[in-house]
Amino acid sequence: MITRRHVLVLALLICLLCLSMAATVTMGSTSVALDMILSDPTASLIIFELRLPRVIAAVLVGFGLAVAGTAMQGLFKNPMADPYILGTSSGGALAAVFSLVFLGGHGQTLLAFVGATMATFLVYTVARQRGRAPVETLLLSGIAVSLLLSAVLTLIMWTAGENVHQIFSWLWGGFPLASWGDVWIASLILVGCAIIFVYARDLNVLALGEEEATHLGVNVERFKQLLLCVSSFITALAVSVSGIIGFIGLITPHVMRLIVGPDHRVLIPASMIAGGLILLWSDTMVRSFTSEMPVGVLTAFLGAPFFVYLLRTRMRT
Amino acid sequence: MIRVDHIDVSYDGATKILAELSFTVERGAFIGIIGPNGSGKTTLLKTISRILSPTGGVVRIDGRDLASIPNRDLARTLGVVPQETAINFDFTVMDVVLMGRHPHIDRLASESKEDIAIARRAMAMTGTEQFRDRSVNEISGGERQRVIIARALAQEPKVLLLDEPTSHLDISHQIEILNIFKKLEGEVTTIGVFHDLNLAAHYCDTLILLDRGEIRAMGSPADVLTRDHLGRIFHINATVKKSPRTGKPYVIPIIGEGAPLRGALRIHLICGGGTGSDLMHELHQQGYALSAGVLCINDSDYEIAAELGIPCITEPPFGEIRPDSLHELEVMLGCADAVIVTDMPVGRGNLANIRILERYCATPIILFGRSDATGAARDFTGGEAERLFALLKARGATAVADYQDLWNTLQDLERRGDPAEQG
Repeated sequence: MITRRHVLVLALLICLLCLSMAATVTMGSTSVALDMILSDPTASLIIFELRLPRVIAAVLVGFGLAVAGTAMQGLFKNPMADPYILGTSSGGALAAVFSLVFLGGHGQTLLAFVGATMATFLVYTVARQRGRAPVETLLLSGIAVSLLLSAVLTLIMWTAGENVHQIFSWLWGGFPLASWGDVWIASLILVGCAIIFVYARDLNVLALGEEEATHLGVNVERFKQLLLCVSSFITALAVSVSGIIGFIGLITPHVMRLIVGPDHRVLIPASMIAGGLILLWSDTMVRSFTSEMPVGVLTAFLGAPFFVYLLRTRMRT
Repeated sequence: MIRVDHIDVSYDGATKILAELSFTVERGAFIGIIGPNGSGKTTLLKTISRILSPTGGVVRIDGRDLASIPNRDLARTLGVVPQETAINFDFTVMDVVLMGRHPHIDRLASESKEDIAIARRAMAMTGTEQFRDRSVNEISGGERQRVIIARALAQEPKVLLLDEPTSHLDISHQIEILNIFKKLEGEVTTIGVFHDLNLAAHYCDTLILLDRGEIRAMGSPADVLTRDHLGRIFHINATVKKSPRTGKPYVIPIIGEGAPLRGALRIHLICGGGTGSDLMHELHQQGYALSAGVLCINDSDYEIAAELGIPCITEPPFGEIRPDSLHELEVMLGCADAVIVTDMPVGRGNLANIRILERYCATPIILFGRSDATGAARDFTGGEAERLFALLKARGATAVADYQDLWNTLQDLERRGDPAEQG
């Protein structure tokens, strides 16, 4: 049931996001006060052409990764799932790099979608035993597929030569060159999030088990395919805008589940906004305090210990 | 009404699990499916719930072909309670019960006041209101199963399918939960798979006995749970009693021990007060030709004798043994190769059974499970019975403590009586 508390938390998160976006636009290597935007043409250029698209892109990618993570955790009935760990991001990145090296960057987003979807299906098929994908096998097959993908990626880098730096930026993603064009691509993430939100109650029912969900009127096989496709679509868009950024999809739903509970009708929007917030602030930190360290490095520093913690607590129970 | 019409179900397209199965369940009935492991019970249930689709035949619910019913419609018609449910996230009990409303709520809508009222009613029926705000993962297994039942009830189904819904619960929870389903009788058609034959017999109006994918018997519990069916299909030796209170059959499996013998002796049994029931079963199972008596007709030993088809001399209750009966007893003792006397209580009424033995020095007498200590406590004749037992012992009656002892003694007798071994 959706309670008043849920509504309150969501309202609070939305306020926090708006304030954060306004605040982070002014931050960076050159500090720009809000009143200078209209009077000073340089300031307005920095804000509208550099920072605003970057802030919006970071928020949208954060939205997407968190919602894809929430959907995958619900789908696999497994709180350790996320697009990074399951190889979806790597599959998307590999396909994007392939297009960059061999096709001159044409069809990048489309190829990233194909790559992301294929990697997810591969991991899931390898892990599946009698219709279920247990945690251990899911993580192991994620690792196995990721190793394979990284070997292919190294091979491409080795043949590519001069493009190595560009390829590297896909592996440890970030938003240094984010433009309005990226924002338009990333805005499609909202479509994906909306589709998943429409199926929030089905995701709840799926937590009872696949047969039980069938008995409650859910066409489970079709629903699983839809979720995998939409999550891969979202991840592919995120990857083609920013490269691989890990752990947002893992941490955010976890933390939000502790705050708002497991009901996906609240969890999905809450995770979405929180994911946007986390990635926005992470990106603001790297662009303010480092000379453009990839934001994926920061999220990995935050996320990897959290992942280990989760693994330990799960093993204890 | 559910009509299962000549369905075949096979696994991997090869091994047939159900073959040409047909039956009809009337609206509001409570039907139990029983059968040994691997007989196809769960497969049948999964076929009716459309998790599996039959390779041949059709299942109809109220005349509609099951395969043609849209998912949501089916979920509004049919609820399923599984053996056990693992719920992956910490949903509250109320949330889980409300999930039963899922097929009734439009995609973008939220639960209405009516949905919440229905969920509350389902929780009241199952006694789960007090947990409504707790996580389903922190309540006990029995409580969780009640929550799952509340969820199925919140679906407001016309048909409920139960797959051994109580097999992981203790006996008090089993009864509590089956009582919930019993209350729905008449409104909801219930089909359940049961392992516990006695619970099935008690709660269901009709039982279907499955074996190797075929229906072996269908009918009232008394017609289905017979000694013969239990022997042929479950391969157990069992007594089927009739509950004096409910009139429903009650199965007591007899758990055999000791080496199997081929008894060739004729044995007469003097028993009473339930002391001979088990013994009669064991001897009957070993193949001995038995007779018994004199017994009072309301003695439970007589019921067993009648059920096993053992010839028995009887007396109406509360009287002394009549001369006619004693004469019959003499005839039976004359035919017997051995007489077994149990540690029955002896009073004025049945003392004649013992006294007559004084005259039978030739027939070996076995005193089964009778010790001097318990004997005195069961003597209601002021020492007369004790005196007689002492006399029998002095004349060579064998006191036997347990079944192992008894089989040895009987084997000795058999050998002695066999001319081939005498030479």
